[in-house]
Amino acid sequence: MDLTRAVREALARLSERPGVREVEVFAALNRSLLTRLNYTSHIPCNGVEEPKSTEMSGLGVHAVFDGPDGKPLVGFGSEPSDLTTDGALRALDKARQAAVHDPEFRSLPRPGPARRALVDYHDPQLMDISDLALVEAGWKVITGGLRAFMASSRLAALVPGEADLKRLGLILGGDVTIEQTRIAIASTAMPEPQPDDSTFMSASITAMVEARDAKGSGWSVCMRLEHFTDEAGGEAAANAVAAIDGARVPTGDYTIVFGPQPVADLCNNLIIPSCQAGSFYASSTPFLGQLDRMVAAPALSIYDHGAMPGLAGSRGITCEGLPTGRTDLIRDGRLVGLLSHWYETQRLLHDLRAREKLGIDPAAAVAALTPRNGFRYDGAGRSFEATAGTSASNVIVEGADPVSLDELIARVRDGLYVGRIWYTYPINGLRAGDFTCTVVGDSFIIRDGRITAPLLANTIRINDNVTRLLGAIVGTTKDARGTMVWGADEVVYAPSIAVTGVHADAIAGFAEGLD
Amino acid sequence: MPHGIETSLIERITPMVRDLCTQRARALPDLHYADVRVEVTEGKYAGAENGESKSSGDDYAFAFGIRVLAGSRMRAPGYFGRGLGAADVPRLGRILEEGLLAAYRRAMANAEMKAEIKGKFGVLGDALDDTRLHPVQVRQEIVPAVFEVDPRTVALGDMQGFTTDVSRRVAASHRAVSYNYISTLTQLSRELFASSEGALIDQSFALTQGMCYVVATGADNSQELYDVVGHQRGWEILARGVSEPMIELAPFPEFSLAMAADAAELSAAPALVAPPGEVTVVTDPHYNTLLSHEIVGHPVELDRGLKMETAYAGRSWLLRGLDDTQLGKRIASPLVTAFSDPSLPGYGHYAYDHEGTPARRVVHIDRGVFTGFMNSRQTAAVFGGDPNGHWKATDASLVPLVRMSTTVFAGGQHDAGDLIRDVDRGYYLVGHRTPSIAESRENFRISARKVYEIRGGRIGQLYRDGGIMADSRDFLMHVDGVGRDFRLYPIPNCGKGQPMQTRKLGNGGPTLRSRAILTGGA
Repeated sequence: MDLTRAVREALARLSERPGVREVEVFAALNRSLLTRLNYTSHIPCNGVEEPKSTEMSGLGVHAVFDGPDGKPLVGFGSEPSDLTTDGALRALDKARQAAVHDPEFRSLPRPGPARRALVDYHDPQLMDISDLALVEAGWKVITGGLRAFMASSRLAALVPGEADLKRLGLILGGDVTIEQTRIAIASTAMPEPQPDDSTFMSASITAMVEARDAKGSGWSVCMRLEHFTDEAGGEAAANAVAAIDGARVPTGDYTIVFGPQPVADLCNNLIIPSCQAGSFYASSTPFLGQLDRMVAAPALSIYDHGAMPGLAGSRGITCEGLPTGRTDLIRDGRLVGLLSHWYETQRLLHDLRAREKLGIDPAAAVAALTPRNGFRYDGAGRSFEATAGTSASNVIVEGADPVSLDELIARVRDGLYVGRIWYTYPINGLRAGDFTCTVVGDSFIIRDGRITAPLLANTIRINDNVTRLLGAIVGTTKDARGTMVWGADEVVYAPSIAVTGVHADAIAGFAEGLD
Repeated sequence: MPHGIETSLIERITPMVRDLCTQRARALPDLHYADVRVEVTEGKYAGAENGESKSSGDDYAFAFGIRVLAGSRMRAPGYFGRGLGAADVPRLGRILEEGLLAAYRRAMANAEMKAEIKGKFGVLGDALDDTRLHPVQVRQEIVPAVFEVDPRTVALGDMQGFTTDVSRRVAASHRAVSYNYISTLTQLSRELFASSEGALIDQSFALTQGMCYVVATGADNSQELYDVVGHQRGWEILARGVSEPMIELAPFPEFSLAMAADAAELSAAPALVAPPGEVTVVTDPHYNTLLSHEIVGHPVELDRGLKMETAYAGRSWLLRGLDDTQLGKRIASPLVTAFSDPSLPGYGHYAYDHEGTPARRVVHIDRGVFTGFMNSRQTAAVFGGDPNGHWKATDASLVPLVRMSTTVFAGGQHDAGDLIRDVDRGYYLVGHRTPSIAESRENFRISARKVYEIRGGRIGQLYRDGGIMADSRDFLMHVDGVGRDFRLYPIPNCGKGQPMQTRKLGNGGPTLRSRAILTGGA
């Protein structure tokens, strides 16, 4: 399918229709391939549980029409499976029928001075992967995990003979995901069609030695099929074995070294939503009125970068046809920018309460609100069925004066290393900043500056506040790792971060006494 | 045909879909089972923000999904799903056949590799087994939708006007209300299920929902509240509300104004400072709707029990291994009974699940004793027991998984007012807000919309930003009062699966009294 031609022809045809002031045509072809994995040594299973795919193509039309009283009407319509001008006309008719007068609407996206940085970055092999290769990728990861379990002398020592290994409850679960996304966009203000093809492949695996309540994770993200390996399965299995003989800790306040996954989880559920223009507009961010003020320890910097070559969240253009790029959110502890898309930026800059919401004069906030993050992600790619919202791309977390993980643990002396958290939510609304989560694996107890024992999975609940956490950061590591949390749009590249005084409650004591 | 496809399309394509399953699929070598799901939805929506119209739409959705179990040395599954449009209708037969063949190729490759890996890994290969489906009665039935005002007949302009008016009234209701977003939705869906076993089930569902999100800003806080009015009915439920034996929902304008009033009141209330240790808590039916969802519904999903969700939604503390479960054991006070029942009205109602199993009530907790899981044909074949019809997907192109229908705490014998009057010192939690549950559902923290102090049997001070935390079994075991005031509510956004499927379903319960740790702000 030639998406570029489709949007060019559609734009030409729709622009001629009566009453159309402005129009934007967005074409997409999305295919999501996924093998869901489930191996359980103690329960009959499939290994590769679901080799599957979903796909959809179509056109989305966002248009501004003449209203009956001269006021503009804005509407959106889409048509699946038809990239012809007939399909575009049907989408326009739906947009016209649905159009409303929105006093905050100013225009469809307009080009700015920035230019596109990323072109031709997808992997053609990944774009054309076969059914057989999809199934093979799943079994490759399962095989990596089973090999690691079979090779473990520690597991072998736990049972009288190899025949008893399966009674340890060895689990490998997760998925291999391949995303194939092709889009093109053209509009009255940006009439030259802009195509953007992207692919990525990831594996996310959880392994367990369930009889010992030991859980470990492994994951990999790559941009080319030839770089895909079985490492996620092997890593998860090895981490599960390393978590055997976990211990509990009592309720208390701890210095916690959060690993890359917890940092990604905190970013996805708390920090990134708090740094979005829409949250300022709705007065629902803990950083309300704090643009250009300190909101974190001076050592912390966080930015979003959608145009960085080789990173999984990178795209050539946004789903509004604007260049992706770097948006600094927190620089040396100071809130300096917000993620936004065109509509959100326009209305916040013209909001009568903008100064109160942002904390600075909106005229001074134009650069901080540059709309580099207007995407149409719907969980299965870049959807032609919706207008753009704000999504992060690659979130990069950095600390000043980073050290090795061993050195950071040595500095902490007594505390916890937390490698995986779960169900992290702002429990009293986003603005309050209060959050809670449980620690589900990959975690250890730190004593006298070194790791002394695994932390038993599912035995502590962290109850704290994200604004307090951001202010209590005392160190970061040099090594950053890309992580995608379940259901997230963005990839977070984060180091491990040490935070003092994190409150954790001991939970679920009954679970070990169950008969 | 204003938007291209109508639900009546299902009638036209039924013979084609039936033949694909019973003739084309059965002719494929080593194919043991195939099913096809096709879904058409006609829907309308409107959205308004701070009293101004923002969006609306009148459109269709059309999709299919195929499952195949196949293989020569072993049996394994393969799937294929795709969204469709009006332009696909003339070539639908070919598209469906291509989907069947893609699912078949995946199943055959999967089965061959499973056999190979099974042979390579000795004792660890033993667990790799043929994919089996527990037998069910093969049915052919047409199930109509229930509504008074047909979703297809509602004028989009009227919906825009109604929705914007609600938003305008909410914005004007209190000075503290600083933001609101109001949306409405009404739709008619029709789902066709056909299998190589001969099942042919055509079910229609009406669904109407009004959503209110409101932010009220106080001196040092913002109170964000979010909730829905919804039912598997027509537009009448938003204009008129719902008054049924188990469901009482106010008309949508009143519902939204009440939420705005709550948000404004809370923004002026003090934050809860939680006392140390456990306290007596009385939780109302709306709070227990989310509680039943999180600490009963999710852990009794058998796919979790069988570890199939280890990497995502988690496992269940009720099942460690096939011979190591809590079945038959006491996990709650004798006052607690809980069940899932697809025949109850509301979002969780259906006659057949997405593999054609007749849906039926399954009791999870019978007077405190754990009695069973909700399941699918595949999980029932592994664990035992008859399928009870809980394999559901949010879209025909996605693979179903075990989901709640309507999961509830059963009503009891106590007057709800007495459950408060008998408390000397305690707290009354009204309305659910946000949950966080431990991985195997063994512990929870759920915040409440409002927390009231109870002193001497009377409701006193209102607090914001409060909730409770407890180990699930401890909370259930400590229940010493169950009200007669059973209510069902809609849950609009239960997430599970990979890729994530956000599903509408039903939950509910009566007022409960138990003990828990109170939680406030950090």
